[in-house]
Amino acid sequence: MAHIPDGILSAPVLIGGGVIAAAGVGLGLRRLDDRLIPRAGILAAAIFVGSLISVPVGPSSVHLLLTGLMGIMLGVVTFPAVLVVLLLQTLLFGFGGLTTLGVNTVNIALPGVVFAALLGPAIRDAGNATKRAVLAGLVGALSVAGTGLLVAASLALSSSDYTPVASVLIATYVPLMIGEAFITAAIVGFLARVQPDALRPAAS
Amino acid sequence: MRRLLAALAVMFALASPAEAHKLKVFATVEDHAIRGYAFFIGGGRPDGSSWVAKDAAGAQITSGTTDAEGRFAFAVPAAVTSDVTVTVDTHEAHIASATIAAARFTDAVAEPAAPTTATTASPAPAQDHTRTEALVRAAVQKEVEPVLEHLEAMDSRLRYTDILSGIFLIIGLVGIGLWAREKRR
Repeated sequence: MAHIPDGILSAPVLIGGGVIAAAGVGLGLRRLDDRLIPRAGILAAAIFVGSLISVPVGPSSVHLLLTGLMGIMLGVVTFPAVLVVLLLQTLLFGFGGLTTLGVNTVNIALPGVVFAALLGPAIRDAGNATKRAVLAGLVGALSVAGTGLLVAASLALSSSDYTPVASVLIATYVPLMIGEAFITAAIVGFLARVQPDALRPAAS
Repeated sequence: MRRLLAALAVMFALASPAEAHKLKVFATVEDHAIRGYAFFIGGGRPDGSSWVAKDAAGAQITSGTTDAEGRFAFAVPAAVTSDVTVTVDTHEAHIASATIAAARFTDAVAEPAAPTTATTASPAPAQDHTRTEALVRAAVQKEVEPVLEHLEAMDSRLRYTDILSGIFLIIGLVGIGLWAREKRR
């Protein structure tokens, strides 16, 4: 779903995606420190395996993205982590493609980074567990929606042949948004109790 | 609304997880007709997705929507002599196609048309010959099809070795990152 294969997108979209992805990865690499390197590795490995499990939904099949969680835990480091995951999935399984690597990285990482940056402070300062769970769930769901919209936009900007149909997008992404909201809320709630530091990408 | 959300959540939880996530198209030829299906590697078929068949020049031959099993079928018009490509699009970024070589549906048309001098003398054997050939073709097709389907599925199966190498590559990258930072200090 978020793995757009080679040969579908037009050159401007590919180049634009590549530039944004390079900027994001560059920012992320600068932020990598001793705290974040192992964390990024663990999350990348978890998402690499987790996104291989897909669930048939409606006319398609979906898999977890967990980019909301990555955004909350890694900040901009999400970009290099997603890039590594996508690169491995392309090389090992043929999902997506090498030319679309940049666009796919942006589509998957950007919403998670943005929504986590917006709602992350509120999540960390949340006074009670319910508020935290709701906010974390919101980040999870919005990140999935953002990815869906970016994928749709990449396809629509490239060629009208492959423009996704809104009804199909809603049928596949809404269940995923709900699933991601619950999973993100559960993991964030657990981390907040056990190790609140894991929710802070920047050393403070 | 809440009940709907709960139902969706239950559906999501109960849906059997399939291994992987990529659309592929399997197509085969039978009697000048192309039929086949689209499938997600590991499981699941796109239900009600649109498909389109084009010839090598990119001209559209026909199109339609897949049934609940992800299947499509259409007769190849006699005018089409180039390779045919069937593309299935789920309309949410899963697009896959399969190409069927022209030889697989055109030779059957060409052979019976070949004029033979014996035709006038004894039309019966020639007819028999054509019929036998058609029967053999159908029988071989029937036997080979499961093998082809299996090959297509095997071709893109997820292998545990690949999954493990991915995980260990990530661990390796983490190690390289930590080592590089250590050295810079």
